[in-house]
Amino acid sequence: MFNLVRNENMKIYRRVRTWILVGLLVAFVLFINIMSWQFDGKESQGDGWRTVLQQEKEHRNEVLKKPGLEAEDRTFNLQRIAVIDYHLERDIRTEDGSIWDGVNGSAQLAILISVFTIIIAGDIVAGEFASGTIKQLLIRPANRLKILISKYVASLMFGILLLFALFVVSFLANGVLFGFGHLDLPLIEVKEGVIVENNMFLNLLQTYMLNGVSTILYVTMAFMISSAFRSSTMAIGFSIAALFAGNILLEALQRFDWSKYLLFANTDLTQYLSGQPYQSGMTLSFSIGVLAIYFVAFNLISWLMFTRRDVTS
Amino acid sequence: MMSTSEPIISLRNVTKRIGRSTIIDDLTFDVPQGEIFGFLGPNGAGKTTTIRMIVGLMTTTNGQILIKGKNIKTEFEQAIQHVGAIVENPEMYKYLTGYLNLVHYARMVPGVTKERIDEVVKLVKLESRIHDKVKKYSLGMRQRLGVAQALLHQPSLLILDEPTNGLDPAGIRELRDYLRQLTRFGGITVIVSSHLLSEMELMCDRVAILQGGKLVDVKPIQYFTQGSGQAQTYRIETQQPELVMAALSRMDGIEEVKLGVEGIVELTTERERIPEILAELMQHSVRIYGVETVRRSLEDGFLELTGGKQIV
Ligand SMILES: Nc1ncnc2c1ncn2[C@@H]1O[C@H](COP(=O)(O)OP(=O)(O)O)[C@@H](O)[C@H]1O
Ligand SMILES: [Mg+2]
Repeated sequence: MFNLVRNENMKIYRRVRTWILVGLLVAFVLFINIMSWQFDGKESQGDGWRTVLQQEKEHRNEVLKKPGLEAEDRTFNLQRIAVIDYHLERDIRTEDGSIWDGVNGSAQLAILISVFTIIIAGDIVAGEFASGTIKQLLIRPANRLKILISKYVASLMFGILLLFALFVVSFLANGVLFGFGHLDLPLIEVKEGVIVENNMFLNLLQTYMLNGVSTILYVTMAFMISSAFRSSTMAIGFSIAALFAGNILLEALQRFDWSKYLLFANTDLTQYLSGQPYQSGMTLSFSIGVLAIYFVAFNLISWLMFTRRDVTS
Repeated sequence: MMSTSEPIISLRNVTKRIGRSTIIDDLTFDVPQGEIFGFLGPNGAGKTTTIRMIVGLMTTTNGQILIKGKNIKTEFEQAIQHVGAIVENPEMYKYLTGYLNLVHYARMVPGVTKERIDEVVKLVKLESRIHDKVKKYSLGMRQRLGVAQALLHQPSLLILDEPTNGLDPAGIRELRDYLRQLTRFGGITVIVSSHLLSEMELMCDRVAILQGGKLVDVKPIQYFTQGSGQAQTYRIETQQPELVMAALSRMDGIEEVKLGVEGIVELTTERERIPEILAELMQHSVRIYGVETVRRSLEDGFLELTGGKQIV
C-alpha cells in the first residue's frame, strides 16, 4: 500500500503539469498579496493603522446618524466601533498593515486549491484509462481497491501540499512586505455581543480546515466521476462547474425546502460562523451529516465502478 | 519440450458476452509448460478479449481460467503473480523515463530488486536509453520496455498481444530467438497472438485458431507448413536447367517438374526421395548451387482448416 502511494506520487510529481499548477498557485498568492499591499495594506503599516481606524470610526458614526438605518446594519456598525475603540484604547494594532493581513487574506485563495486538486484527482484514474496504462497497472498482484485508495490518498496529499505552499508563500511574501513582527497579534472579534481576543493562528487554522472540508468533498466528487466514467474532461469539468455554479444554483433554489440537502448548500461551513445558514433550521451537525452521506456515497460509487467493471480501454 | 506436468494455464468453456453479442464462445484448451503458444485469427476474432480475460481485466461470463491451478476470478492475486503481459500496445508512462516505469512496476510486486531491474534492462538491450523519457522511444523500444516490465517479476507465463506490431523483420527474428531462449532456459511458457500466420510460423510451437470468437482448432505449427506429410515442392538452383529437367523426367517417384526463371527447377516429390534424386543428378555432372523446400502456402493450410474462409 505504501509503495502504491509512492507510485502515484511519482506519477503526479514527475509531470510538468503538476508543477505548473503549483507555480500558478504561488504566482496567484504573490500577485494578490503584492496588489493588496500596494493598494490597501501600505497605509496601515507602522503606526498608520491608528489613522485608518480613526477614519473608519468617523465614517461609521456618520452612517449611524442616517435616518431609517436598518437594525441589522446599526448593530454591525456599533460593533465595529466597539472593536475599534478596543484596539485604540489598549493599543493593540489591527492585523491590517501587519503580516497577518496578507496571510489571512490569502486563505481566500483556498478555492484555487480546490480547483487544482480537482484537476489532479479528476485525471488520476481516468488518465490511466486514456493512456491505456491502466491495463499494465491492474495486472499486478495488488487488488483494485488498494490501487484506488492509493490514488485517492495521493490526490488528497496533493491538496495538502498546495495548502502548505499557500501558507508558506503567503507567510514569506507578507513577511517581506510587512515585516515579520506582530506574530502574536490577537484577533479581536465580537462573539455573542462581547468583545473577545482570539488566537490569530488558531483562527487561520480554522479557516483552512473549513475550506478543507469543501475541497475534500469536491475532490472526492471529481475522483468518483473519474473512476466511474473514466473521463478526465468530464470529471474536471463537472466538478469545477459544481464548485462555481453551486452558489448560483442555490440562490435559485432557496425557496425549495429540499435544496438544503444539496451538496453545495452544505460545503461552506463558515455559514455557521456568521450565524446565517443557507436555510433557517440548518445546523452545523445537519451539514456535517449531509456531507458525510455524500462523502460515503461518492467513495462507494468510485469503488463499485472501479473494481467491478471490465477494462476495455 | 512438452511436459507431462499440469498445464500452466487452462481455459474451460470460457465465454464472454457483452450485451447480446457473444464475443468469445466456449473456449477450452490447455497450454503446457515451456511451450510457445499462439492465438491466430483475423482482427476482431477475439484474441485480445481472450487475453484480457486471462489477466483478469475482463471477467468471464461463463467458464473458468486457471493459472497454475489458481482461478483468476476468485484468487486473482495468487494467479496473476505468475503472469507477465502486454495487452494490445505496450503502453507506458510517457512522461517517465524507461527506468522509472520499471521502478513503478517493481514496487507493485514484492521481491523485485534493483539488480533485477538492471538485469531485465540488459536482457532487452535498453541500457543506453533506459534513462530517457519514454516519449522519445521508438515503437520497437517501447515494445522492448514492455517485455522488460512483463518479465520483471520472473513470471511463469508471458503473454504478448500482437508483439510483432511495429517490428521490422529483423526485430521479429530477434524477438523469436529471445522467446525461444526464455522457454528453453527459463522454463517460461509464452502465449503470443497475431493475425499473421507467417509470423506465427516463426515463433510458435502450437497455435489456436480463433474465428468469430470460436476456437476453430489447435494445431502444431508444422501442420500448416508441411501439410499432412506427403509430397512437397522443392526448388533446385542450377546453371543447366534444361539438363536437370531432362534428367528428372527420367526418374521415378516425381510427381511434377517445372521450369522456373533464372535457372530454377521446381519438382514435387516426397521428402525421402530427395537424397537419391540429388545423387543421381550429380552423376550427370550438373552443377547445383542450392536446394530449398518450397513451403506449402501457409494460407493453404489455414484455408483447409477454416473451410475456405480467408484470414486477415
Ligand atoms: N467492450 C466491447 N464491447 C463490445 N464489443 C467488443 C468489446 N471489445 C471487443 N468487442 C468485440 O469483440 C470482438 C473481438 O475483439 P478483439 O478481442 O479485440 O479481437 P482481436 O484482438 O482478435 O482483434 C470484436 O468484434 C469487437 O468488436
Ligand atoms: Mg487485438
